Amino acid sequence: MANLKDIQRQIKSVSNTQKTTRAMKLVSTAKLRRAEELAKRSRLYAAKMNQVISEIAGRIKCSKVGGINNRCFNEIENPKIVDIIFVTADKGLCGGFNIQTIKAVKKLLSDYKAKNVKVRLRGIGKKGIEFFKYNGVELFDIAINLSSKPEKDKADDFILTSIEDFKDGNTDALYLVYNGYKNMITQELHINKILPVDLSQVECSDTQTSMLEIEDEDEEKMLDSVVDKYAQYAMYYALIDSVAAEHSARMQAMDTATNNAKDMVKSLNVKFNKARQAAITTELIEIISGVESMK
Amino acid sequence: MDKLKLEILTPNGIVFSGEVISVTLPGKEGEFGVLAHHASLTTLLEAGVIDIEKEDKKTESVLINWGLVQVDETKVVVLVEGAVAIRGENESDIAKALDDAKALIDSIKDNNPAIATVSAKLESAAKSLM
Repeated sequence: MANLKDIQRQIKSVSNTQKTTRAMKLVSTAKLRRAEELAKRSRLYAAKMNQVISEIAGRIKCSKVGGINNRCFNEIENPKIVDIIFVTADKGLCGGFNIQTIKAVKKLLSDYKAKNVKVRLRGIGKKGIEFFKYNGVELFDIAINLSSKPEKDKADDFILTSIEDFKDGNTDALYLVYNGYKNMITQELHINKILPVDLSQVECSDTQTSMLEIEDEDEEKMLDSVVDKYAQYAMYYALIDSVAAEHSARMQAMDTATNNAKDMVKSLNVKFNKARQAAITTELIEIISGVESMK
Repeated sequence: MDKLKLEILTPNGIVFSGEVISVTLPGKEGEFGVLAHHASLTTLLEAGVIDIEKEDKKTESVLINWGLVQVDETKVVVLVEGAVAIRGENESDIAKALDDAKALIDSIKDNNPAIATVSAKLESAAKSLM
């Protein structure tokens, strides 16, 4: 019967899909492990870098010495133009991973628009770029292939323009928006203010006890150079964190897809058996009624 | 002799971590050595070689392309961008490390006069190991 064949075909197609999603899940699991390893290795550096920056920031904020005129360490009131860098994946099929970031960026955009602040959007990752292009939002700068394969050198180059524009006074703030890895099943959205360095977290009491001493002669140069490295590193870390998150999101999405396919095959099997049963019953009735009519 | 803790960190991992007797760093204002109980300071390093004197009196060299060092009485933490440690079990390992180091030197863009002396220093460090 045609109906039976249709169902059989459907079962086959769904189980093929299931195979694909399962393979994608396995690939993501392997890639996630690598990304996690990468993130783990640079965590110590990240912690130290943040500590140094916050110590310097604390010194500037609390004791009001050195670098007080440095743009990177002073809160800018009423920013006129803001740089936003967002990181999305190059590929889809990873649940709400990309859309979460996109939504956050959209919200920032409308918030700033309400305040009459000009926003310069710089995008990393195909998905986010495509979305904003489709919606007619102008992107200042884009980078594809960077979010799937983070490389320090390329990340450095990408953010350097933003850092320099900020230092030259062309922009008043630099934000980094990305979806980061929290654990195997959750991602966490980060909206990080990179420049000027966020001073709101700094408490004066603990920095006064710190023994931080900066050689006077190279203070300005040192601050500039440290801020560069800090921002560049933040960019790189965002990228590797985002890769880990992307893979964990995809792993989850593909796991759900595999399970759904499994359920579907199950219910299609039931449907197939029912149809088969019905066909047999009809045939039997035909035979019996034929025999009956002969009597 | 008192020891101090030295950590050399890069974005890609730890290059060196352990107790050392002394360490010589290529500071912006010139080379400086650090022993235990050094006064605290934070300063920048430029491309050069970090010489480490380990507990067992052996020395080790690490090439860096940029650095930020934090020194306090008991420990020295060096944050660097790129680093290559000149070490290895046998000659081929050392030769490989030396090649990596040369690649790192080539990637340093600014033509600092100090860079020239760095390669010479590296060669001699590698030779002493072989």
